[in-house]
Amino acid sequence: MTSSYTQEKNDLPPSNGLAIINSKAPFSSNHGKDALDVALIFGSFEQKVSLFFQGDGVYQLIADQDARLVSIKDYLKTFSAFEFYDIEDIYVCQQSLVNRQLEEKFHIGDVQVLSSIEFGLALNRHQHVLRF
Amino acid sequence: MSTLHLVRQSAFATNDFAQCLSVLDHQDSIVLMDDGCYNLKHSLMDSLIKRVDGTLSINVITRHAQARAIEISAAVQHIEMSDVVELTFNHTKVITWQ
Repeated sequence: MTSSYTQEKNDLPPSNGLAIINSKAPFSSNHGKDALDVALIFGSFEQKVSLFFQGDGVYQLIADQDARLVSIKDYLKTFSAFEFYDIEDIYVCQQSLVNRQLEEKFHIGDVQVLSSIEFGLALNRHQHVLRF
Repeated sequence: MSTLHLVRQSAFATNDFAQCLSVLDHQDSIVLMDDGCYNLKHSLMDSLIKRVDGTLSINVITRHAQARAIEISAAVQHIEMSDVVELTFNHTKVITWQ
């Protein structure tokens, strides 16, 4: 029954936490590093943070990257600290991966790949959103 | 009159690469550097490789692609930054797409 399904979706408790959308590739701007800093600061104050990776932002999660080759301090390695800051909700837009011919092979675990619709629903459960 | 095109932006994020291809001449050269390396996986690249008739050369900076974990493709030439210096001398002008 479709009506009960819709009901269930609407009944999901709105998360009061912060959503951070990452939409930029990792090495050519500071956006990725800035988003990481904000996430860790909120995490260290025990605020709920969810991370969303969309568009070129999905490149931040791809495995086997090496920032040292382009003389950049590898902030991507710090992503593995998310679990210590209780940042457990990490969402990736599947369509963005497909468009870029990327496999679902990430350098951190516990990443949830969501379809465009699910990605939107997950984002809309948050009261506050920052986009980098 | 040949042009060297330095492509530095991802075609998934900006329109630069499409604009570059629209003005591309058959004796020109393209260098993919920085986020331009992501264009190797863009559909525009597939159509460009089909268009290549031997005179047009497509190059990518090896380290920039490696840093981004982008597969080394056989369809393009792999060069270093020092080779870009030589390329600038071999072309009458340079356009940077950024």
